[in-house]
Amino acid sequence: MTERRRGGGNALILIGLFMLACMVALTLFGSLIAPYDPSETSPDSLAAPSAAHWLGTDSIGRDVLSRLIVGGRTTLVITFIAVFCALAGGLVLGLFSGYVGGVVDQVIMRALDIVFAFPVFLLAIAVVAALGPTVPNLILTIAIVYTPILARVVRAPVLSVKRWDHVEAARSVGVSEFSIALRHVLPLVVSPILVQTSLTLAQTIFTVTALSFLGLGPPPPDPNWGGMLAEARQFMELAPLTVIGPAAAIVFATLTFIVLANGLREKLDVRSQ
Amino acid sequence: MIRLVLVRLAWTVPILLGVSMVAFALMRALPGDFAQASVGTTEVSPEALDTIRRNLGLNLPVWQQYLHWIGNALQGDLGTSFVTHKPVLAELLPRLAVTAELTLMAGIIALTLGATSGLASARLRGRTDWLVRLLNGLLLAVPNFVIATLIVLLAGLYFPEVGIFNYVPFFTDPTGNIASMLLPAFALALAPSVSISENTRAAVLEVASQDFVMVARAKGLLPGAILRNYLVRNALTPVITVTGLQLASLLGGSILIETIFTVPGMGQYLFDSVSSRNYPAVQAIVLLAATIVLLVNVAVDVAYARADARVSYD
Repeated sequence: MTERRRGGGNALILIGLFMLACMVALTLFGSLIAPYDPSETSPDSLAAPSAAHWLGTDSIGRDVLSRLIVGGRTTLVITFIAVFCALAGGLVLGLFSGYVGGVVDQVIMRALDIVFAFPVFLLAIAVVAALGPTVPNLILTIAIVYTPILARVVRAPVLSVKRWDHVEAARSVGVSEFSIALRHVLPLVVSPILVQTSLTLAQTIFTVTALSFLGLGPPPPDPNWGGMLAEARQFMELAPLTVIGPAAAIVFATLTFIVLANGLREKLDVRSQ
Repeated sequence: MIRLVLVRLAWTVPILLGVSMVAFALMRALPGDFAQASVGTTEVSPEALDTIRRNLGLNLPVWQQYLHWIGNALQGDLGTSFVTHKPVLAELLPRLAVTAELTLMAGIIALTLGATSGLASARLRGRTDWLVRLLNGLLLAVPNFVIATLIVLLAGLYFPEVGIFNYVPFFTDPTGNIASMLLPAFALALAPSVSISENTRAAVLEVASQDFVMVARAKGLLPGAILRNYLVRNALTPVITVTGLQLASLLGGSILIETIFTVPGMGQYLFDSVSSRNYPAVQAIVLLAATIVLLVNVAVDVAYARADARVSYD
């Protein structure tokens, strides 16, 4: 975009980091902050928000706020580990494919084309359904689904950076190919990877919560945001406000990573695709 | 032009082959027993299971099973439903038509909303631009199933007379059918409309900064004529591409939307099939969805080449 100046985006990054810090703090210390035990039931079911239960109670009288705080941990842990795996896979595949080039590159890219033919969410459902909805399987599924996207983002700039003079210079003084790829190419392609990773985190929040919403999330009784939203939906006529909590949490988490991605994009001057 | 179409189609053949292998392997990697799932109960004698295995061809080597499955699929036989014991294709086609209608309506809504807001944002700038970008940023953060849930909630609370869950088939009541699809289509359209809007805005701004637009303005062309003949035409190419590429996300999103609004489409069929371990149906849906995405990508390429003379036909 033409009107963007380089170096902008600091404010967005700060806001994003602050939101991220809030979420991480809740994830780490959630069980200490939560006013109630998230699995503790009470006869006071589907209660409206009150001083005792800020966000009300669910169908079997559990405190929604406590479940929301603790449920964030499940959702965020899956998201972070899965995106980390996808990033690792994408880095290895993209760097290798782009740097080696030639037939290897063609074969890897055509293989990735196959994965790209599947709508992401449909593939995720099919894989989770095949493997069974457990936390490790969810992480594996999301890593499989997002690795190709990250690999593509890594590969594209590698193709041009590897032809730059400093790479040739490093080669001429006898630096090994492995260390050229790692030390002279990778640092120059970090910007788009950072932006895409942040976007992938946002998309993963969507995928994890959407799978949980459909009942393909982490098994009960541990709370998770998508599952809570699905449950609240069933009792929407009796307690409409219980929908708001999980919905707001999902939106907040997604917004965090989108704000971060936009800030990084402006700061690092990455052209939007 | 015909050559371009043929070349692109030829490219999709090996990818489709890979797609079919993935779809096949996915359902064979299942922890459970395929034969047992086909009867739907665990109380079957081992002899009966053996017979079922032989009938399903599960005693053959895996590659023969694959060839058998893909051969049948090419002839339009996508297997038999484990639940209803009817051909999967016959169950799938009417549902595919419903999803196609939903996706088409969502596509039209998304294109209208996205192109209008993107164009307004780029041309009017100032407060409109700021507002559109803010709304886009916020909408991007609200997943479609959250929007759908909130729509159902609000409609239920404030407009209880609006029936949300009364799906009517198109041929019994065309207007009623379209009316019943409007809310789901709208919920599905919001996310793609954001990326269409952002891309339209970027494309129009990019074109507007080109020299030929300045020349046109300098020689006194009316702003309306510049908009029609220069900006819209040149900004069209990226917008076509984005709109086409949104289809995959529309198909994926329709699973959630159809489940929430109880629209009997392919997404709901997939969800039901996953829940009831109806593996042949899951396989068929995965294969069909990927095929549709690939064909749409070819169509996008071709549209792209038609709209932009610089794209070579090789």
